[in-house]
Amino acid sequence: MPTRQRLKVLLISELMLDMKEDEIGDDTPLFGPAGIGLDSVDALQVVVMIEKNFGFKMADQEQAKRVLHSVNTIAEALEKQAA
Amino acid sequence: MSRSILITGANGALGLAIAEYFLTKEADCRVFLGVRERRDRAEELAARFADRAELITLEITSPEAWKTALAEIAGKGTPLGVLINNAGFHEDALLANMSADQWSRVLDANLNAVFHGCQAVLQGMMRERQGRIINISSLSAISSPAGQTNYAAAKAGVIGLTQSLSKEAARMGITVNAVCPGYIEGGLPADWTPEHLKALKMQLPMRRFAKPAEVAAAVFFLASAEASYITGSTLKIDGGLL
Repeated sequence: MPTRQRLKVLLISELMLDMKEDEIGDDTPLFGPAGIGLDSVDALQVVVMIEKNFGFKMADQEQAKRVLHSVNTIAEALEKQAA
Repeated sequence: MSRSILITGANGALGLAIAEYFLTKEADCRVFLGVRERRDRAEELAARFADRAELITLEITSPEAWKTALAEIAGKGTPLGVLINNAGFHEDALLANMSADQWSRVLDANLNAVFHGCQAVLQGMMRERQGRIINISSLSAISSPAGQTNYAAAKAGVIGLTQSLSKEAARMGITVNAVCPGYIEGGLPADWTPEHLKALKMQLPMRRFAKPAEVAAAVFFLASAEASYITGSTLKIDGGLL
């Protein structure tokens, strides 16, 4: 499964989101009212989810803030790690 | 699936009763008895359940000690499913006479230690997407008796921590609850005279103290699958005193 799709599947299942994969755009902001509306508790979970499923560990909060912006930014960070 | 249970203050009457309750009622669990210097009674219990219970040295006020203890538990192969923050003590004095050290010691052992314990286990439970944290508060958190400003504040803090953390952890399959026991047999100050105890019982609606197993049963329930939708709750177990 492509990384972006896998991320969406994981986000929906791990965060118990009542939505379908195609409702999450690759560039849709994950946090805040303009996007999906995740909160800081979700952020903590996403960090653990990424580490558990992709072996990607956030270096610090600044990096987490950048990486967790959207599905695309997460995927790019994962691809950069794999390269 | 089998799980490990970590109980702090496991050499005391309530800690022992909780440990024994789990060992008796949950056949495949492993119980880690968190102790410090005093460990004679915990050793006795561990000897009775040698294949499933063992002592673990844990200075609850030290984050490093928590890390070490959890690494030791992880090394045994059964994931930690339940943390019971039971250890604590009181050092009573009227506030006018209370030293800053008395205040700090009680806050450290009864509140800060709960913070360290919860923080230490949280990431592992998040990874497993399940976990149960049960914090033993006290009736003093609610009744706030004179002479216990430090203890009452610490135990009320435990309730606040429990409620707040329960909201942070709910979506991760982790429940966090508090229990407020009243007077427990075997858990009362050794210097209380028989007359004092008799007079105290007369004030209790049930005219008796709780048996440690009666509190342990509630803790066990909160750690069970049946309690999966209970989180952020404070359960008072006081025989109707308050």
